[in-house]
Amino acid sequence: MKIGTYEIYSLTSAILFAIGLGGVFLAKHFLRKIIATIIMGAGVFLCFVSFAKRDALTFADPIPHALVITGIVVAVTAAAFALSLARRIHKLTGEDTFGNEK
Amino acid sequence: MDILIDSLLAILTIYLAFRCMLAPKLSKAVFVFFAFGLMLALAWIRLGAVDVAIAEAAIASGFMGVLMLDSLRDFSLIFSKNQERLEETASKIPIKKDSYHWTTALALGLGLILFLLISIQAIWEVPQGGGLTAIAEANLPMSGVEHPVTAVLLNYRAYDTWLEIGVILMGLLAIFAAGGLKQYRKPGLAPAQDPLLRKTILIFTPVLFLFGAFLLYFGKMGPGGAFQAAVLWGAIGILLHLGGWTVFTVIPRRMRQILVTIGLGFFMILGFTQMATGGAFFEYPPAYAGFLILVVETLAAISIAAALTAIFAFLTK
Repeated sequence: MKIGTYEIYSLTSAILFAIGLGGVFLAKHFLRKIIATIIMGAGVFLCFVSFAKRDALTFADPIPHALVITGIVVAVTAAAFALSLARRIHKLTGEDTFGNEK
Repeated sequence: MDILIDSLLAILTIYLAFRCMLAPKLSKAVFVFFAFGLMLALAWIRLGAVDVAIAEAAIASGFMGVLMLDSLRDFSLIFSKNQERLEETASKIPIKKDSYHWTTALALGLGLILFLLISIQAIWEVPQGGGLTAIAEANLPMSGVEHPVTAVLLNYRAYDTWLEIGVILMGLLAIFAAGGLKQYRKPGLAPAQDPLLRKTILIFTPVLFLFGAFLLYFGKMGPGGAFQAAVLWGAIGILLHLGGWTVFTVIPRRMRQILVTIGLGFFMILGFTQMATGGAFFEYPPAYAGFLILVVETLAAISIAAALTAIFAFLTK
């Protein structure tokens, strides 16, 4: 099997997604959970663009690129909303985790 | 040589993602997140996606990082409170609630590794389809622009971009709603600022504006376009806000609303006009396509920049 740019980055994307998934489950603080979702998203985007690289003819497939730009902006908007919710929860209750022990 | 650079970048990206999750201090995690975004931007360049690299560095790393940093201050601690609580409880009672039982940790770890293997196998087996490169290239002369990614964003798939501007607007509204709908900070209450900071911001403002305008226009023939320009223009608003000129809060309310919605509104009117004149939704007449795309991009960039500034101004009040 030939190891090239596509193989390396598609492997990286799977690992990034797994790290993000682990972070979403295991991280406690809201901020860290939000960062974990962004890392998960980065894994998906990386996987998508590495396919564009693999299937490139004269230039890389522009459709995944355009969709990933759209995706990044939407992910950031969603994360900003999540941040504002986290800050609201912190302001109202003083909590910064989903603690259900107390 | 290529493999060396790619593997180094990949290892660095994975390491930084790990550090983001495992850094003991929250502030450290946020700073590592900045670095992670920049490494990822380099990875995009290696994959030939320069547009994505600019968007990643500017929006996902820059704008998101600034919001994260600001949230750190809002959680009113530079250290993770969890960490302090952990140390507090450790000194008093034996910790129970903040640590995982080893069986749980083992099960979760094994599950994650299994998931990783499954996803790697799934990625490996995606068939080589050839993609849509050939079609995109064949229609490029009719699209009004020379750069394929801009052609996809604003001509072939203009519908996606239109809705994306809508998503940003909706995110802004949701943030307003979640924040409890309070007024912006009054300009008079702006904190006294460092004169050096203010001067630096004043020097950077025209440079950022010019660079944003360049990216906007250059999107026609190379990497760049509405989103990248919008983030640079949004950065102007954020910097001015940080410097004590709360521009977004002093302009009249109506004006703010118009600024935030003009991109979405014009895009929609354009789409329906094309339908009324017999074309499909977002089917530009090839003769005017270049000009129309430039107008749409400019208005969209203004709208997105205003929305990003508004998100920042509202979150930091």
